[in-house]
Amino acid sequence: MIVGEQKPLEEIKAKVSGYSRILILGCGTCVKTCFAGGEDEVATLASALRLSFKLEGRTIQIEEQTVERQCEDEFIKEAATNIAEVKAVVSLACGAGVQMVASRFPQVTLLPGVNTTFIGILEKAGLFTEKCLGCGNCIVDLFGGICPIGRCAKRLFHGPCGGSSKGKCEVNPDTDCAWQLIVDHAAATGQLDKLAEYVPPKDWRTSQAGGPRKVHREDHEI
Amino acid sequence: MVMEKVHRMSNKGGAAHTRKPRITVFHCFTALEDTASLEGGDYEIQGIKMPCSSISREVFLLRAFEAGADAVVVLVCPVNSCRYVQGNIRTEKRVTRVKKILDEIGIGGHRLNMFNIVQGDEAAARRIIEQTVAELGEWGLSAAA
Ligand code: SF4
Ligand code: SF4
Repeated sequence: MIVGEQKPLEEIKAKVSGYSRILILGCGTCVKTCFAGGEDEVATLASALRLSFKLEGRTIQIEEQTVERQCEDEFIKEAATNIAEVKAVVSLACGAGVQMVASRFPQVTLLPGVNTTFIGILEKAGLFTEKCLGCGNCIVDLFGGICPIGRCAKRLFHGPCGGSSKGKCEVNPDTDCAWQLIVDHAAATGQLDKLAEYVPPKDWRTSQAGGPRKVHREDHEI
Repeated sequence: MVMEKVHRMSNKGGAAHTRKPRITVFHCFTALEDTASLEGGDYEIQGIKMPCSSISREVFLLRAFEAGADAVVVLVCPVNSCRYVQGNIRTEKRVTRVKKILDEIGIGGHRLNMFNIVQGDEAAARRIIEQTVAELGEWGLSAAA
């Protein structure tokens, strides 16, 4: 899933303070799962903003809505009625959702309320961790299912750097060294020899380095 | 800076209230059957009865302040005594988060507090309300109420 974090209240408040009526638009998919922008977060943010403005003697009208997915036109159409009533929308979706809404409703100012952070997993209750950089050509099978692109700070393909220490990464000692995990997995499954195989340099043109990408499925086109 | 703001907005230095203080009490019905036994003082009580305290989501606690509460009290069962195992632990985490939001807003997280009480201990619940009322005497009424 795409993992994000809600922006600080102070920052969102500063962005909306010039408006008398706004819509906070949540997304019921990835950002809901990571507690950044689902129904609950929309309601909590709206309530916090109302209280905050009230203390300053100001009233701001806040509409609240959460659609199933902000990155699909089919779902954001449902927000048209609410959006027609406001000049600004705080989107609690990921960056894709924010831009989708911005392009469908160009008449409103779109204010992102979430910092889109990474593609990752729910590792355990309350902990989300990055796993994939979306390189466009998955080679995770070469590393026992542990991606050195998404999980090694230096994106190394041929073993750990000199900073790997006690299983942790030198860039962030809270994070497991991806190469320690790769080697441990290979040792545990009797595949250490596989790691001796040469991995050719990666062609990064399939990644974002090759510019914005498209996936075109003619079989789904109508 | 935030704490200065909290202090400015909420601490009226013991000035007399212009109306009765309002306290919203969220409680699971195992910890406290209902809030009728807490009424009768020089304050208003709004009871929110729940099958499990973990139902008190962040927004409900904030909306209590929007609805005019000067203080919010959450009464839950003691640790390890929750009928639903972790309900009171989840509640504590939510209360902690909402306290931070209240500090950030300027209302002050001290106006929201969670207490563990033994099932049916109405005397303890009453003491908690009296203590909250006394504290409101120091803090003053909420400027957001
Ligand atoms: S190899 Fe590429 S696609 Fe596969 S997990 Fe790593 S970054 Fe993601
Ligand atoms: S310590 Fe491990 S994860 Fe960190 S940069 Fe070096 S090889 Fe990569």
